[in-house]
Formats: sequence, C-alpha cells, structure tokens
Amino acid sequence: MARAGGITEAVNVGIAVQADWDNREFISQISHNVRSLFDFLVKFEATTKSKLASLNEKLDTLERRLELIEVQVGTATANPSLFMP
Amino acid sequence: METMVASASIPFPREPANYDEASMHHTLLFSDSLKDLKNLRKQLYSAAEYFEYSYTNDDQKQIVVDTLKDYAIKALVNTVDHLGSVTYKVTDLLDEKVDEVSGTELRVSCIEQRLRSCQEYIDSEGLSQQSLVIDTPKYHKRYVLPGNYILVFSICIKCLLKTFLLFYFFRLSVSGLSFSSIFSDVSCSVGETMQGANVTKSKYQGCSQDNRDDWHEFKNGSVLVMLSLYLFWCDFSFCEHILVVYHKCTKMMDVIMKLFELQLQKRHQLQSEKGALHHLLRVLPSNQERFCSLIPCPKRNKHPEPQKSASMRLPAERDNRKEPDQFPSKSKRLLKALLSRRKSKKDDMLYTYLDEY
Repeated sequence: MARAGGITEAVNVGIAVQADWDNREFISQISHNVRSLFDFLVKFEATTKSKLASLNEKLDTLERRLELIEVQVGTATANPSLFMP
Repeated sequence: METMVASASIPFPREPANYDEASMHHTLLFSDSLKDLKNLRKQLYSAAEYFEYSYTNDDQKQIVVDTLKDYAIKALVNTVDHLGSVTYKVTDLLDEKVDEVSGTELRVSCIEQRLRSCQEYIDSEGLSQQSLVIDTPKYHKRYVLPGNYILVFSICIKCLLKTFLLFYFFRLSVSGLSFSSIFSDVSCSVGETMQGANVTKSKYQGCSQDNRDDWHEFKNGSVLVMLSLYLFWCDFSFCEHILVVYHKCTKMMDVIMKLFELQLQKRHQLQSEKGALHHLLRVLPSNQERFCSLIPCPKRNKHPEPQKSASMRLPAERDNRKEPDQFPSKSKRLLKALLSRRKSKKDDMLYTYLDEY
C-alpha cells in the first residue's frame, strides 16, 4: 500500500509539474502576442505621424499658393482696365 | 464577458445614398471602434478581478484556470481584430485625405497655369500696343557701331595729330632746322615702322630729295600708322569702317599739307637770301673765309650728323642748337649792310660790322 501510495504521489507531482509547464508556456505565448501587438501599435503610430506630417506640409503649401492666387486675382479684378481690349 | 459579445454583434450597415452619408457612416463606424478599444481595457481589468476572486474562493480551481485561459485567448484575438480595424480605418482615412490634397494641388496648379498664361497674354498685348505706338528710327548699317567707337576714335586721332604737330613744330622752333630735314626725319620714322632698317637708312641718305616726295611719304605713312593703331585698338570686326576713317585722316592730312606748303615758301625765301649772300661773298674774295665762318648751313652739310629726336637730346646740345638760331637774323643784318655798301668808299663800314662778331 505504501508503495502504491508513493507511486500515486509521484504521478500527481509529475502531473502538477506538467500542468505548471503548460501554464508557463501559455503565459509566454500570451506575453509574446501582446508584445507583438505592442510593436505593431508603435509602428502604426510612427507611420501615422509621418503621414500626418506630410499631409500637414502639403496643406501649408497649398494654403500659401491659394493665398498667392487670391492676391493675384484680387489685383487683377481691382484693375479691370488690364482686361480691356 | 457580456460586453465583449455585445461589441462583436454590430448590425450590418445599409448602403449609403450619397458621399456625405457614406462619410458619416464611416465616421460613426470609426468612432464605435475607438469606443470599443477604450472599453476593452475596462473589460480586461474587470475580468482579471473576477477570475482572481473565483480562483481564491471557488474549489474547482482547474475549471477557473481553464476558463481564464479561454477568456485571455478570446480577449487577445478580439483586441487584435479591433486594432486591425481601427488602424485600417485610420490608414484609409489618411490616404483619402492625401488624395484629396493631391487633387487640390493639381487644381491649384491648373489655376496658376491659367493665371500665368493670362499674364503672358496681357504682357504680349501691351508690348504689341507699345511697339505700334513707338516709331523707332532706322539707320544705315555702316553708321551703327557698338558703343561710341567712332567718337572715341576721332578723339584719339585728333590727339595723335596734335601730338605730331606740336612735337615737330616745337622742334622746328627750338632747333631752327630746315623743314626738309625735319620731314625727312618724320618720313624716316614712318619708314622704320613700315619697311624696316634698310629703307630707313636710304631715307636718311635721301634728305636732299624733293620735299614733296618726303611729305607724301610722311602723309601716307602717318595715315597707315594711325590706321594700324586703330586696328590694334579696335576690334577687327570693324574693318568695314576703315575706308571712312581713312578719308577722315586724309582730310586732316590735307590741312597739315597746307601748313607745310606755307613753311616751304618761307624756306625758299631763306634759301634765296642765302644765295644772294654767297653771290656777295664771291664778289669779296679777301673776306671769304670770315664770311664762311659766319654761315652755318654749308658746314653742317659738310659734316652730316644723324638727327636725334628732341627727347633724346641733352640740354647742352639744345643750347648748342640755339646758336644757329641767331644766324638768320644776323645774316639779314649783314645782307642789308652789304647791299647798302658802296664798293669804293664804305669798305670800312663792312669791316667795322664784321669786327662786332
């Protein structure tokens, strides 16, 4: 009986160790996935920031060009004699 | 747990009618996705607290652990889906805005090009109107030169001529040389530039030639020297104007020719006076040696010396040159004395006059 009880106890310990290793593996996999998700978010932030910066620059340039065109059109409309034949 | 299931059950959107409605629909979906991401954090924290409480209080811990594992996997997958959806929408929105900006830049470029073409048209029209109004004078090609080369050249020619004339008339007045020797010098100096040393030597020896030949050589040589100076000074592309310049130079030389002829007449008068003096000396053979010592010209012809320019002479030589200057006036006085002399009675007057020297 004692011998059988010793074997059962050893088996239980082995099952517990195996379950512990399984849990550790699961946790490491979850941590790896969360880390990958975090890396993706960092890259997405950098890409989005660069895109927004380029878009802001384009909008500034466009705004200046539009102001220049507005001034030119205003000058032309202020002197209608230039368009007289 | 319930909220995660509820967030996954989004109703299927109907088709948008126009652009504004579609943009509103996309904006609503994007805002819902962002709200789900914000709520996901609270759900995860609440799930973690629930499983912790269950694991400590419940006896069936293995079931709690298995349930926790399933929930963590589903939460991770749901988070990845949400993040993917949100990032895709954000990227799509950014690309859409970039495309709009590019389209706007293209339209602005079109407007700028139209404005530029309008400006060029206005400028060309104004230029054509002004060109029709202004009546530009037209000159013949040979009178048009780049810059004021004709003006500058005429000034240069005048300066050169003044320098020539001043130099030789000064030499004439100071040294008292005859015009033939002076202009033979001039022709020799021109001959040096034109024909070389051999010709120069012949010109020195030919001082007794006709003065008119010397003058023509001097004239042609001076014109050629001035023309060569002009060609050296100006560009050779103006060679078509040489003829005009040559005519100008010849006109100026004609003026100098008249002056030269006047001086030549004076020289002939002087030679006639000298001839009369020699005739009188033959009449008085006893006093010939004394008279010959008084006459400088034949002695100088006996011992010809190479003529030096005024700048090359020393001051002592210039003083020596001034001495013969007194002889023409003295010879005139002597000639008057001889002409008024009576051969038989008044020889004493001549001897007393000669004793003054």
